[in-house]
Amino acid sequence: MSSEQNTLAAPAQSDAAAQARKRAPFAWEPLLLAAVLLVAWQLIGASLAGQGNPLLPTPAIVFDALWQSLPELGRGTVSSFLILIPGFGLALVLGVALGLLCGTTPRLARAFFPFAKVAAPIPPTVFIPYAIAVLPTFHLSATFVVFLGAFWPIFQNAAAGALAVEGRHRDNARVLGFSRLETLRKVVFPAALPHIFSGMAVGLGFSFILLTVAELFGANAGLGRFVQYYADFADYPRMVAGILYTGAVTWAVMSLLDALRHRALFWLR
Amino acid sequence: MSTRGGHGGNDLQVNGLAFAYGEQLILQGIDLTVAGGEFVALLGPSGSGKSTLLRLLAGLEKPARGRISAGGHEVAGPGPDRAVVFQNYSLFPWMTVGDNVAEAVAKAHPKLDRAERRRRAWEQLDRVGLGEAAARHPFELSGGMQQRAAIARALALESPFLLMDEPFGALDPVNRARLQDLLVEVWERGQPRRTVIFVTHDVDEALLLADRVVVMGASPGRIIAEHTVPFPRPRRRAALLGDDSFHALRERITDALDADTLAHLDPA
Repeated sequence: MSSEQNTLAAPAQSDAAAQARKRAPFAWEPLLLAAVLLVAWQLIGASLAGQGNPLLPTPAIVFDALWQSLPELGRGTVSSFLILIPGFGLALVLGVALGLLCGTTPRLARAFFPFAKVAAPIPPTVFIPYAIAVLPTFHLSATFVVFLGAFWPIFQNAAAGALAVEGRHRDNARVLGFSRLETLRKVVFPAALPHIFSGMAVGLGFSFILLTVAELFGANAGLGRFVQYYADFADYPRMVAGILYTGAVTWAVMSLLDALRHRALFWLR
Repeated sequence: MSTRGGHGGNDLQVNGLAFAYGEQLILQGIDLTVAGGEFVALLGPSGSGKSTLLRLLAGLEKPARGRISAGGHEVAGPGPDRAVVFQNYSLFPWMTVGDNVAEAVAKAHPKLDRAERRRRAWEQLDRVGLGEAAARHPFELSGGMQQRAAIARALALESPFLLMDEPFGALDPVNRARLQDLLVEVWERGQPRRTVIFVTHDVDEALLLADRVVVMGASPGRIIAEHTVPFPRPRRRAALLGDDSFHALRERITDALDADTLAHLDPA
């Protein structure tokens, strides 16, 4: 019987253990790999050099280009985020709202799920030329495409999360006499949050892909546009700098989402 | 503590109740009358449908046949007149313990503002010895503390009925004894007393707590015996264990349970 007590106390203990593990040993492996890659880059870049415009510029040249391009890249980031934030934000709001409604209303589920099955797998990239052609501004068409890419994973995960709400939570909501809205807000939404965050991570990844691809097509600013623009001049140092910078921005946003998830799902630990 | 008015008493009537899960018959021919303020234990082995019967009383399941009325009203679903405490996980893990209880306060008193709800929730938690833990989340508490909070939440509903499904089944013996005492204490303090239906598979627990023990058998679940528990309150564990009539009653119930189990072990 007392073992039961221990099981119930276990989450707190494993949490402490996880924190201790996080603090104690410093992970040197990724730094080692980074050093190896950097050296390899330097060696290959140097061996290819000599013809004036190296195909693979060495790290020093790239970082110099990066430094000089920072103001331009900064403006590009702002331009890209003005597409990313509204597109992803709309996908988040609509995806969560519709997903939770479909996951809790059998009639809506019957209407939407077969449609989602057909519509969701269409690669959103194929909408880009059409959106650019039909919608009045590039900004609007790119926002729409980002929205499409992020919407489906968020919708599907929110719906799955709503369907997976444990029976005990439903029972407690009913025993407390929660209204439909109260149940959605206080029980289904928080219970589905782990799923919703998974959907957000996938959706955010898609958003970045679609954003940069759309910018290759028709933007006059932005991260994807930066790389495309210097490709036209065969300015490889700036291209590589743009790629590295885009990677860093994507990583930063993903880390932010991860931190948010960690905070919001404290009760799972 | 006042119970809600207008419910026309707090007696419970079950007539000809049956419940099936798909093809499988879980409960059959259940007739049960519980007086207002009575503490009844539903005792039986697993598979006797005692938890299902409790869920039916709570309105969480719909009967295949038969009727249930609580306080003169037919049970058609969960209602604020019947508070429920489950074996564990009665609390929402994403809310603080105080907020969990405040949800019940809000149901009992919809007009109260946030601060007053919270104040009453803390008061309720204080009553079960958890005043310090109101700002904590369930995962930070031990199983015993979580069940205290679940009881506080049930009390905060101020409902005339208290339905409990093996509420102390997952606790260690020390915590279980403490919570048993706490439950009897809050039940005896009620003005008027709540009607308690307490599901357990532990004969000693049933005899310690209840006015009456309803014994259930399996396949399908049905009532095989009822015993009034004659021991005066307050009941002390040590005194009960030294009492011959306690052991005699305990043995009669255990024998009935064993006989029923054996009768169904060999269907051929």
